[in-house]
Amino acid sequence: MFEARLINATTLKKVLDAIKDLLTEATFDCSDSGIQLQAMDNSHVSLVSLTLRSDGFDKFRCDRNLSMGMNLASMSKILKCSNNNDTVTMKAQDNADSVTFMFESQNQEKVSDYEMKLMNLDQEHLGIPETEYSCVVKMPSMEFARICRDLAQFGESVVICCTKEGVKFSASGDVGSANIKLAQTNSVDKEEEAVTIEMQEPVALTFACRYLNQFTKATPLSGQVQLSMSADVPLVVEYRIEDLGHIRYYLAPKIEDDES
Amino acid sequence: MGILGLSKLIADIAPFAIKESEIKNYFGRKIAVDASMCLYQFLIAVRAEGAQLTSVDGETTSHLMGMFYRTIRMLDNGIKPVYVFDGKPPDLKSGELAKRAEKREEAQKQLEKAIEAGDEAEVDKFNRRLVRVTKNHVAEAKELIRLMGVPFVEAPCEAEAQCAALVKAGKVYGTATEDMDALTFGSNVMLRHLTASEARKLPVKEFSYEKVLKGFELNKDEFIDLCILMGCDYCETIRGVGPKRAVEMINTYRNIETILDNLDTKKYVVPENWNFETARKLFIAPEVTDPSEIELKWVDPDEEGLVKFLCGDRQFSEDRVRSGVRKIIKSKSSSTQGRLDSFFKVLPSSNTPKRKADEDKKSANAKKAKTTIKKEFKGKGKPK
Repeated sequence: MFEARLINATTLKKVLDAIKDLLTEATFDCSDSGIQLQAMDNSHVSLVSLTLRSDGFDKFRCDRNLSMGMNLASMSKILKCSNNNDTVTMKAQDNADSVTFMFESQNQEKVSDYEMKLMNLDQEHLGIPETEYSCVVKMPSMEFARICRDLAQFGESVVICCTKEGVKFSASGDVGSANIKLAQTNSVDKEEEAVTIEMQEPVALTFACRYLNQFTKATPLSGQVQLSMSADVPLVVEYRIEDLGHIRYYLAPKIEDDES
Repeated sequence: MGILGLSKLIADIAPFAIKESEIKNYFGRKIAVDASMCLYQFLIAVRAEGAQLTSVDGETTSHLMGMFYRTIRMLDNGIKPVYVFDGKPPDLKSGELAKRAEKREEAQKQLEKAIEAGDEAEVDKFNRRLVRVTKNHVAEAKELIRLMGVPFVEAPCEAEAQCAALVKAGKVYGTATEDMDALTFGSNVMLRHLTASEARKLPVKEFSYEKVLKGFELNKDEFIDLCILMGCDYCETIRGVGPKRAVEMINTYRNIETILDNLDTKKYVVPENWNFETARKLFIAPEVTDPSEIELKWVDPDEEGLVKFLCGDRQFSEDRVRSGVRKIIKSKSSSTQGRLDSFFKVLPSSNTPKRKADEDKKSANAKKAKTTIKKEFKGKGKPK
């Protein structure tokens, strides 16, 4: 028996909005420690790793480990049927071939049940080694979303260049070029608005705008975003989900061709 | 052509060895393309109102049209193609080639009949059957490829064998052909429909050699014997043995010699002087150029050269050729997108169909836990 209850259905909605453009289907791995999801997009360029800890749920029960393959578009449709103040409960039997979403209104007057068929997905799991990153940048998530959106108009790729002084995002294309520099903030009133840079070594990496813009769909989940970078390894974009877990996106860098 | 009924058999026995995906997912990959097969395809398929495209003096240009645009399509998708041309056919293929010549003659006769009868559909059908890739076509195609800045390799013998050698040496990612031989020669990755027309919207079919062997539970030599039993280009087959029976036999006896020893000769007729051994040798150690001697280089296209070659007598539109060249240059200037699988290793298959035995699940989850879960939950109390 698996049962997970979340007071705020909106959180689950936001989580799904953050992954459904990148992935069409994914397996939710449930165990007594929580819910995990790891999946690459079709082209194997980016990877989503989602963790929702069991202690972040209002109620969480998972007797046996369970892997539930879901079509994310269908799941999103179901979650759209919930109201903002609803409580959501996910339920499944041990060997179930379907999962149930139950929405309860705040005053308990309306209860709706949605059952969705599960699917058997053949997915590869990647082992991600623990890495010490040369640069870790924390910045307001809205700011990051804005930068990615603006730069996408200039070119297909963004160069992220991180030094002691700050972090620079640049793109260039047929129209011209664009550069956005952010310096480390000295003092801020709100922690969420801070830009902080921890740097061991300066890095400059090139990434595809298209994917970055899909990652920023997670912006509503968190006020801050954390970018971790090292030379020649994938970028990690992390959004913390308060009291519940996190969503991490990994993106393979673009590599200069040696032969051309 | 190729191995009789192999693709269907793989789809039945080892469906997981076939993966369908879009052409754009192959960005950054170097791929060996069986050029002779491509040319043949183009000569048949690239037509206007049923007739081949021709130059002013009636020379066919269908193959050039196909080559030019499909190569651009691959480059545009970030693929780096290498064309591999057939050398001389192996002696063993003479039987197969004679058969093909016979069929051609037959088609020629029927074509004449159809023309007499004025049946246009039939005329078209037999016309297509008469298509041949001539030396001239090949020479023109090579010139075009060179002008486009794409490398090509001349195989001493069979192109599929050379492609497989390139794949094995790690020079390229996979072989693009429709001929299933490529797997028999041991090309680890084989792609079908890569050079198919964009308009047909066919997904690229990727065959994995390793997964095929795993699915069939055969080793490389046994797989070759299976292919010979099913019917290849190099020798005859035992009459009455189809794909299904061939699999059964290989699974029981593991090689052709043992099968022959145990064969019910009343039921099945073994061809006289059956030279399966030579065919087998050809698959195991085909005549190929040592891949380490082959250098693959993708260079800038020669725009003026292409315009001169394709426009004028061959009647290509200059605007379209130039815009094609621009696409090639653009594809070369952008850096290549990396892939996550080249940074992170794929864990040994931990996929657990969810309704399988529970033991499976536990072990799989334990594997997963090693990577991320454990780190995340260390020291966190369980909620119950």
